[in-house]
Amino acid sequence: MFEGPVQRLIDEMARLPGIGQKTAQRLAFHLLSVEEADARRLAAAIGDMRDQVSVCERCFNVASGDLCGICRDTRRDQSILCVVERPQDIVVVERSQEFRGLYHVLGGSLSPINGIGPGQLRIGELTDRIGREEIAEIIVATNPTIEGDATAMYLARELKPLGVRVTRLASGLPVGGDLDYADELTLGRALAGRMEL
Amino acid sequence: MKVDWVTLGNFRSYDTLEWEPDPGVNLLLGANGAGKTNLLEAIAFLSTLRSFRSVPDTGLIGDGGAAAVIRAGVSSGDRERLIEVELSRGGPRRAQLEKSRLQKTADLLGVIRVVAFLPEDLDLVKRGPAYRRDLLDAVAVQLWAAAHHDQTELDRALRQRNAFLKSGLRDDTTLSVWDARLAQSGGRVMSRRARVIETLAPHLEMAYADIAGGAERAAIGYVASWGGDIAPEATAAEFTTSIMEALERSRRADYERRLTTVGPHRDEPVLLLDGSDTRTHGSQGEQRTMALAVRLAAHRAVADMTGEPPVLLLDDVFSELDADRSAALAKTLPPDTQTMITSARPEDVPVEGRVWRVGEGRVRPAGGDTVGR
Ligand SMILES: Nc1ncnc2c1ncn2[C@@H]1O[C@H](COP(=O)(O)OP(=O)(O)O)[C@@H](O)[C@H]1O
Ligand SMILES: [Mg+2]
Ligand SMILES: [Zn+2]
Repeated sequence: MFEGPVQRLIDEMARLPGIGQKTAQRLAFHLLSVEEADARRLAAAIGDMRDQVSVCERCFNVASGDLCGICRDTRRDQSILCVVERPQDIVVVERSQEFRGLYHVLGGSLSPINGIGPGQLRIGELTDRIGREEIAEIIVATNPTIEGDATAMYLARELKPLGVRVTRLASGLPVGGDLDYADELTLGRALAGRMEL
Repeated sequence: MKVDWVTLGNFRSYDTLEWEPDPGVNLLLGANGAGKTNLLEAIAFLSTLRSFRSVPDTGLIGDGGAAAVIRAGVSSGDRERLIEVELSRGGPRRAQLEKSRLQKTADLLGVIRVVAFLPEDLDLVKRGPAYRRDLLDAVAVQLWAAAHHDQTELDRALRQRNAFLKSGLRDDTTLSVWDARLAQSGGRVMSRRARVIETLAPHLEMAYADIAGGAERAAIGYVASWGGDIAPEATAAEFTTSIMEALERSRRADYERRLTTVGPHRDEPVLLLDGSDTRTHGSQGEQRTMALAVRLAAHRAVADMTGEPPVLLLDDVFSELDADRSAALAKTLPPDTQTMITSARPEDVPVEGRVWRVGEGRVRPAGGDTVGR
């Protein structure tokens, strides 16, 4: 145990995913040793994020206004949507620089074990968009897990009758993994070789 | 395939252990509770990534410790490799091959292959079909490491489908999606089981004859959950189609019982003796011989298919057998195979080998090569 405020920071950081007691300790003492301004900038960034971040009204990406940067960018192809599980997945697909369309964040994948059915995902919002916007193709980029696969199949069954083309990223993605870990090259190839669902 | 050395850190009753087994036959002697089974369990874990006593990882970690480590030097042909598995309370497993961290622990499968004879092997013959499904799936993993992935996915898809049925919701689109995902992995698992049976069958017949010396013919069959045999030459895609159709036919029953009533998890492998089920028709003695024959056949089949005999573990097996069967088993033990035999009573083991004393968290040589009997 360290002095109250130091221990409090360690405990807070140790609650973050992927950070254990040891790492938390190292980070806390690091923040104690750097310039005060640097430490305060980190604190302010956390505060600002919570104050200023919002959810994009259209695609449910993180945003700092009503719409996210991608939805505001009128040069992007408005006729093609990439469906992902989480906002972090957008960053990964963007890094591949192969995709110039828009996104839709589902907010997870089907998982009855965790009580997540179609109603808990933003699928209704997606069908609304298909009705409202001029969308010709949906690329489903859910994770290559059992749940991601099931979600992709569900979307294909629900969306195809609406007259859009539905494709799934071609394999090449690491099986059983998160989109997060896919490197840009594999993802680029997966996008190029996407398959009809 | 050989284990050149193994070290354990905080694994079950072992604080730290270093052991360099003989490349031939090893006899591990020690009183009950000495830690003999624990040692074999650690070695088998490297090959199957599960405990042969079916306990979760936390049961393998030494009482009070945070993590257990199993490390081994393993050689195959003239290739030596270093493998390491760490099990920790609460955290994920970690695995290393040649000191580099593997993304998935399952990538270790195939580096070392093991076939284990266990005192409770009679369960394979006498108890329900789940024991025999597990046996086929375990042999499949020894033959094709990728089988593990399909088995894990099948299990997960099944649990998801059952959770959906439990919820009491009736939504055919959602159910059909889980049907498709279950059938996809299930088809692969079924086709592998069919190929394991095909591979195992001739070895089983010979192994049974070798041990029993009689004229009965041992065989292995498989009844799908929807009734009827399976075509051994069917492809995974064909099995997937059959599973899909069966799931659709049982949809109403499944909604009502809130459970997946058909699928590879309900299939019934059968061990046959002259065409009848050993489970229901075999004598006590025939059942015991069948259990030994199944393990021996697995060892021979894997040796045959991979070109290299797996490490053979016999945990306290001889004490369960009468003198005739003991002698027959000893005679059929494969040559050129690294073998580890445990016993509390050396006079029960009619096999020669390097003798080790197990106890107090250590494994010590018992002075020179000794004869077990
Ligand atoms: N997780 C554990 N931590 C510490 N000791 C354990 C653990 N699991 C089992 N043991 C001990 O291991 C011993 C049994 O070892 P085992 O290998 O089964 O003996 P045997 O030589 O009879 O095969 C028991 O004394 C038991 O208390
Ligand atoms: Mg024992
Ligand atoms: Zn947006």
